[in-house]
Amino acid sequence: MSFWFTVLRQVGRNLRQTWMSQIMTLLTVSLSVLIFSLFYLIYTNMLTVGDQLGDDLRLIVYLEEQPVPEMQEQLRRKITAFDDVEEIKFISPEEAYEKFANQLGNDRDVLEDMPRDFLPPSIEVTPLKTLRSLNQIKLFSDYLAKLPGTLKVQYGQDWMERFFNFTRLLSIVVLLSGSLLILTTVFMVAYTIRLTIFGRHDELELLKLVGATNAYIRTPFLLEGLFQGLLGSMFGLAMLYMLFRWITERFAGPGFLSMIQFTFFPPVTIATIIVISVLLCTVGSHTSMQKYIKV
Amino acid sequence: MVELIKVSKRYPPDVTALSSVSLSVDRGEMFFIIGRSGAGKTTILKLISSMEPPTSGLVEISGQTIHRLKGGKLAKLRQKIGVAYQDFKLLTDRTAAENIAISMEVSYKKPQIIRNRVRSLLEQLDLADKHDTITGELSRGEQQRVTLARAVANSPTMVLVDEPTGNLDADTTERVVKLLQNSHKSGATVIIATHDESIYRNTSCRIMELRQGAIHSIVRGDQA
Repeated sequence: MSFWFTVLRQVGRNLRQTWMSQIMTLLTVSLSVLIFSLFYLIYTNMLTVGDQLGDDLRLIVYLEEQPVPEMQEQLRRKITAFDDVEEIKFISPEEAYEKFANQLGNDRDVLEDMPRDFLPPSIEVTPLKTLRSLNQIKLFSDYLAKLPGTLKVQYGQDWMERFFNFTRLLSIVVLLSGSLLILTTVFMVAYTIRLTIFGRHDELELLKLVGATNAYIRTPFLLEGLFQGLLGSMFGLAMLYMLFRWITERFAGPGFLSMIQFTFFPPVTIATIIVISVLLCTVGSHTSMQKYIKV
Repeated sequence: MVELIKVSKRYPPDVTALSSVSLSVDRGEMFFIIGRSGAGKTTILKLISSMEPPTSGLVEISGQTIHRLKGGKLAKLRQKIGVAYQDFKLLTDRTAAENIAISMEVSYKKPQIIRNRVRSLLEQLDLADKHDTITGELSRGEQQRVTLARAVANSPTMVLVDEPTGNLDADTTERVVKLLQNSHKSGATVIIATHDESIYRNTSCRIMELRQGAIHSIVRGDQA
């Protein structure tokens, strides 16, 4: 009889004998993976949204008066002295008027009585993609505000601050939930294996006396932990995927959520979550064995 | 094969089970240990099967000090020793066949060989109809025979038996003795602890009598 055949038979026997606690552990592992993955999925999608927002990020520097070409060159030099930028565009009051009128669309007639130069001239600065953190953007904005002839600088700071704070809060939630759920998973698996060990105390004692090796006694328990991790994480991820599909289909169509491109985990992340779950459950199982099976 | 050199065993708080026992059992010998309850018979078997370490002295099997063996080496040695415990150590939620098979499974015998061996042993011990019976539902005598079958199943080089006929009638005792003799004939060293005179009365084997943890006498059965 081969080693693996014997070990798998032992695993099957254990699962049959302790199926109730095995199912409870499986559900705990699944729920842990589901909760953690849900937060992580939201977090990664928020990061994607942040990237999308960053792509559209423009700092508008309103000026007191339209700069002459020499002044434009001087301002360009001063701006790039802080950091390289993607693009610097000078917008005259007339161009600003046209842009505004276009944005108004059918309501552009409200501007009929207004002079074409009633809007201030401005500079539209598109920062480099590397300028992503809120602090960097703030620093850049403060720098631009000190340029000669600047009235004020706008980049939707209130909205961006709220968004970045939310992303930061979410990253803390992901870290905390991850740590807590890791502990829960390891504890639950260790506890189930401990119950199995206690339940099979007489058998383990006998196995030792008839000459079973360490590997013969311990491998089934390690495999149990491994199966718990594998099945639990796959089940948890499957539930998350169904939830994801339901949300994306339910909220498809016009609305705020339709502006955001939600994506599920790429295969590498799925594989990583499964591998980590398997490792954690095997560690839980190993801990119990080291503590309660003295061969 | 088996050497006990000045072996003592004390249990807390202050119970002396064996006191400076020296003994040598040859390979392939059938050896009886007799004595009253509490004389130290079971303790000697526990020391030889490495269930317990001696308080002092050495227990050697084939030149190896067994209480110093660990891990794989100890497991290998235990696979070669079949023990029929006085308290049976049966898995009462498993069938008789499963209990007997355990000792062969740990040495990875083929399933077909295990099945055949289990059937053969059950027939020899008049338990063929109990193949699929849960051992918890068997009588004490039947459980005792299953224990014995498990001890000899893996064709060990040494068989240790503790009170093998304690719960048996004369007819079944004869079957048990025959099984042990077969094991002996096939080359195994057999050590039997008993106070049932009927199983050693007419043998030419050595018989050691223990009294209060010390050797009182070692004589041949036909000289007693």
